[in-house]
Amino acid sequence: MFIYLENLCFTYSLGMPFETEVLKNIDLKIDQGEFIGLIGHTGCGKTTLIQHFNGLLTPTSGKIYVDGVDINTKGTNLKLIRQKIGLVFQYPENQLFEETIYQEIAFGPRKLGLPEEKIEKRVREALKMVDLDYEFYAERSPFSLSGGEMRRVALASILSIRPKMLILDEPTANLDPQGRDNILSEIKKIHDNFGTAVILVSHNMEKVAETVKRVLVMHRGEIIIDGTPQDIFEKHATDLIKVGLGLPQVTECMHKLKAKGKDVYTGVLTVDEAESEILKKCKI
Amino acid sequence: MRILRNISFGQYIPRDSLVHSLDPRIKILSCLAIIIALFLIVKFSGYLILGSYILISIIISKVHPKYVFRGLRPILFIIIFTLIIHLFMTEGKVIYQVGFLKITQEGLIKGLLISFRLFILILTTSLLTLATSPISLTDGIERLLSIIKFTGIPAHEIAMMMTIALRFIPTLLEETEKIMKAQISRGADFESGNIFNRAKNLIPILIPLFVSAFRRADELAIAMEAKCYRGGEGRTHYRELKINQIDILTLSLTMVIAIIVSIMF
Repeated sequence: MFIYLENLCFTYSLGMPFETEVLKNIDLKIDQGEFIGLIGHTGCGKTTLIQHFNGLLTPTSGKIYVDGVDINTKGTNLKLIRQKIGLVFQYPENQLFEETIYQEIAFGPRKLGLPEEKIEKRVREALKMVDLDYEFYAERSPFSLSGGEMRRVALASILSIRPKMLILDEPTANLDPQGRDNILSEIKKIHDNFGTAVILVSHNMEKVAETVKRVLVMHRGEIIIDGTPQDIFEKHATDLIKVGLGLPQVTECMHKLKAKGKDVYTGVLTVDEAESEILKKCKI
Repeated sequence: MRILRNISFGQYIPRDSLVHSLDPRIKILSCLAIIIALFLIVKFSGYLILGSYILISIIISKVHPKYVFRGLRPILFIIIFTLIIHLFMTEGKVIYQVGFLKITQEGLIKGLLISFRLFILILTTSLLTLATSPISLTDGIERLLSIIKFTGIPAHEIAMMMTIALRFIPTLLEETEKIMKAQISRGADFESGNIFNRAKNLIPILIPLFVSAFRRADELAIAMEAKCYRGGEGRTHYRELKINQIDILTLSLTMVIAIIVSIMF
């Protein structure tokens, strides 16, 4: 087990007039190499939850174990934890600051105290992971890039510390459909090739559900549903709609078919799956 | 990150009270009168009177004293420092001596007086900002400044700048916190190292912060132009400030107290 949360609670501005309970009794186990979608309505506590994973926030009560270590006991080397868990914030392009893309991506490895030749190797590797050409990009300024490219550089700057787990907060926000597909397929490649565990945080089921293997649905600071995407769309469709999260269009279509009396499987995620399911049922 | 949460600057606490409902101009002028009086007083009894006046105002304002006194925390060091300096550095009748350090009676009195002065000063201004929303505060400043507009002071522009600055303090703090967290996640360390390293470690925060602040300023300027903003000339106000009898009574009371204590004590 890689991450283990035990009865985690978190309250913002404890003891102040604006006190708000953001996370309530969260129990969660995440294994090495999992591919998870964390989905919930805006303001449900997703971002707050993931900031607990690498010790940026300290829980009001409850425990977090990463790789068997309780990260909130005194003397825990949080730098080590943050190296294991790469957290990519929403709009990560806003964190870029170096003069060249090379320096930007080298920031993390440099802070780890690696020798220069290893750093260069990691920069090459990270740029390759996000599909950017080293020769073309390394010496450019990160501020001269397009939005999509900036986001990839920011992603590469986390990948260069070689985390065992990658957490991405809304990685596709504000990207055009092609940029979104590119980022998602790069993340999938990283997961497949390096066995990196991935948590994709999003408020949008569409696309994310196709990619991940397990979905956690959050609502008002609690994880209310935990299961495979197929399972969730098949059995918990009404719950999802109730908490304000729509279904992917194709899944909704299947649910409507079922409501009309057609006996189709509703746990489909893509148009292709839906097509073959409908064809299968038509032939009978 | 802890530090960013503790800034109480301009943290308006909405309550339904007499102090809150006063005209901002009245509150600013009253504070000014008290501050001037504070610097004229030379006796403890004067501070006692002004201090209790402020304490009564705090009670009337329904703002929990906890928040008012929190404003004192940052300058507590300065108060203690001045007290110590006065204790040891004033010539006069020695009342206590350790080695070459001696405490004099004059020093004690002077130090305490100045401490009281700073103490009440901060309480007064804290109460003003806690019980007046930033918007009405700048409104008040704008109207007060426009009285002396003939001197060439751009009252509206100053007020607008203050409004925008106040409006963006929380935004920038939030942004700073976000960037800090992002850089910490990338391996940055803001808590260890000597002072030079720490200063150097701020670069990954400052550059993104400036980039986004400039971008925000740009966007705001465009948005303001899109709404046909043309400066203060001929501009009307959504909230018209009106002075009523309670306002006049409050200001008179404050003025009378301020004048009496500055003359008599």
